[in-house]
Amino acid sequence: MVELAKAHAKALMPSFGDGKEDQLTIEGLTQEITGLLRKSEKQLKRLAAAGPSEDSNVRKNVQRSLATDLQNLSMELRKKQSTYLKRLRQQKEGQDGDDLEMNLNGGRSIIDDDNLDDMVFNEHQMTKLKKSEAITVEREREIQQVVESVNELAQIMKDLSVLVIDQGTIVDRIDYNIQNVATTVEEGLKQLQKADRTQKRGGMVMCATVLVIMCAVMLVLLILKTILF
Amino acid sequence: MVLVSAAREYVNRMLQDISGMKVLILDSQTVSIVSVVYSQSELLQKEVFLVELVDSISKSKESMSHLKAVYFLRPTLENIQHLRRQLANPRFGESHLFFSNMLKDTQIHILADSDEQEVVQQVQEYYADFVAIDPYHFTLNIPSNHMYMLPAVVDPPGLQQLCDRIVDGISAVFLALKRRPVIRYQRTSDVAKRIAQETSKLMYQQESGLFDFRRTEMSPLLLIVDRRDDPVTPLLNQWTYQAMVHELVGIHDNKVDLSSTGKLPKDQQEVVLSSEQDAFFKANMYENFGDIGMSIKRMVDDFQQVAKSNQNIQTIEDMAKFVDSYPEYRKMHGNVSKHVTLVTEMSKIVEERKLMLVSEREQDLACNGGQVAAFEAVTNLLSNESVSDIDRLRLVMLYALRYEKESPVQLMQLFNKLASRSPKYKTGLVQFLLKQAGVDKRTGDLYGNRDLLNIARNMARGLKGVENVYTQHQPLLFQTMESIIKGRLRDVDYPFVGNHFQQGRPQDVVIFVVGGTTYEESRSVALQNAINSGIRFILGGSVVLNSKRFLKDLEEAQRIAKSSTNVV
Repeated sequence: MVELAKAHAKALMPSFGDGKEDQLTIEGLTQEITGLLRKSEKQLKRLAAAGPSEDSNVRKNVQRSLATDLQNLSMELRKKQSTYLKRLRQQKEGQDGDDLEMNLNGGRSIIDDDNLDDMVFNEHQMTKLKKSEAITVEREREIQQVVESVNELAQIMKDLSVLVIDQGTIVDRIDYNIQNVATTVEEGLKQLQKADRTQKRGGMVMCATVLVIMCAVMLVLLILKTILF
Repeated sequence: MVLVSAAREYVNRMLQDISGMKVLILDSQTVSIVSVVYSQSELLQKEVFLVELVDSISKSKESMSHLKAVYFLRPTLENIQHLRRQLANPRFGESHLFFSNMLKDTQIHILADSDEQEVVQQVQEYYADFVAIDPYHFTLNIPSNHMYMLPAVVDPPGLQQLCDRIVDGISAVFLALKRRPVIRYQRTSDVAKRIAQETSKLMYQQESGLFDFRRTEMSPLLLIVDRRDDPVTPLLNQWTYQAMVHELVGIHDNKVDLSSTGKLPKDQQEVVLSSEQDAFFKANMYENFGDIGMSIKRMVDDFQQVAKSNQNIQTIEDMAKFVDSYPEYRKMHGNVSKHVTLVTEMSKIVEERKLMLVSEREQDLACNGGQVAAFEAVTNLLSNESVSDIDRLRLVMLYALRYEKESPVQLMQLFNKLASRSPKYKTGLVQFLLKQAGVDKRTGDLYGNRDLLNIARNMARGLKGVENVYTQHQPLLFQTMESIIKGRLRDVDYPFVGNHFQQGRPQDVVIFVVGGTTYEESRSVALQNAINSGIRFILGGSVVLNSKRFLKDLEEAQRIAKSSTNVV
């Protein structure tokens, strides 16, 4: 994150060069961070799906705390990106404005001088315009990329916000959570007992016992038959 | 502020030096103590991933040795027994024991003996033995509160238990504040005297080393009063936000349980009303009902504006902004719905029980004179069908408390009318109240009609008229605080314990009401502290009363008194 901040700052500094490598580093870092966040989110989800057990409460609570941390980090990243975006836009407009101004000034001063040099200077203007167009197109592309990553992060944040506890609500109270644990554990116990009872009373057990008894009876009859004969 | 931060500080110290995943084990009392000052998300930040009760934990058998156990318990007999069993078969890796009050040597020996596997890493005393519900208000949530109304001969062990718990709570407060006070008590109350003497013995003789703090110029003052000196305040209906919610619905440990009042969405059935966490509540908890309506309307309008701007999402930028502010939006939404639900419920109840009418009469009985007019008004209200039983009982009680001696015939008439009208009314409850808290038993000048100055003041107030008929009552506590500020608390009425003495005005005063405090009184204290007159008041009680709880305590006490006289 710190690296990303530094890269942002460097790219924003007015430079004479094209600044392509800066853009690439920024892109790379942003994608890396987004990827890490997404991976952590997946692992978090896996933590939840690992089935109920004694320490499911522990799991849930670990999940919650990690989710809060993740949400904070992604919010930080998004804030940094949006400021970068804003500044980028400002710069772009500023540059365009400068270019246009330069063109106008150049045009005016040259028209004053010589009418013969008209053609040459028109060409000069054209190349300048084309150049600024190219720069604009490039800037737009960069902005588009940043916006995309912003959207991705937004999606992650929404997923995470379901996990995170809202501060100050009843869910954030220790005694409420203890009460809930007690009731869910009791409920679970009751369900288990009920299931146990239904299974015992189940038809399968009856059938099996009847069949076993009949087998024993048949065996006895068989033995009697062989003895008698 | 200072009590809440002291309790938080203790919890912080318990958790900070222990690294790794922890489980926090509490008993039923310390759950309340910790829940009002610490939230679940803060616990998660400190890596506490499981919270359990000490009695339920023994039923489970799975061993979680990767967790470290942090125990925070009251040093009672049952807790020591639970601990013994758990130390003998430890489920967790390490154990750190913290107690909310002083441990006896015998208890430490028992614990040491049962720690065969040496899992105990430390044993400390952190004196958070009180529930700090508001910055200047604490309670002890004692279930056997009604014992204070009975003489000692009826149930000596029960009363001893109550007094012990109160003494423990008060000493914990002063240990948390790191001060040792000068103690005064209300002369006419035996319970107050007993508690004052036992506290003094504890602080000055038995544990004088523990309480020997750096002496500042002025020792703080501990004043122990009895609820029966002001039985009017818990009986009145309230119209300021926090007090009203407690009176009509009930607040317990800063939580409000709305599940019994009709159908509500699941996340609004139980809500939290804490001035520490809710800025709107902090600004409005002492405002009266009309002003609250206005504030809530403003809050809803603000929220609607935010919601509207969120619906207007056109560009990607707007989307990004929306997602940025989504958590805050959700929090605001929750808060708005909580307060709107509360106010709606209360308005419903006010409408059903015709509380505007009843309360006007109650305030008259509490504040203004005129026996004849009062008698007529109460009789009329008793005949009114839509007035509920509990309100009728309260009206008769308030009348009886004020006009006990004037015209006993009319008083008898009211009793009979009440008994005939309210089938569930337990006969003799009003008389029992008069026996407990009648004019002869009270020290303070409850109605302002004992000395000339007060009478004159009342007359002047009557002529001037009051701002709001429904909130004109001032609890007796207000007068007591004023006397302390002026340094004129009478020695005759509130003597010092033993050979304590204090010249001049104290800077810190803790007032403990045996029998329970009310939110109206805590409001009085908070407003007094806000004026900043150089003295800081802290209010505490054995429970927080509303009229239902006060009447229940009376009934319990009456039942026990009756059964004990039958036995004798």
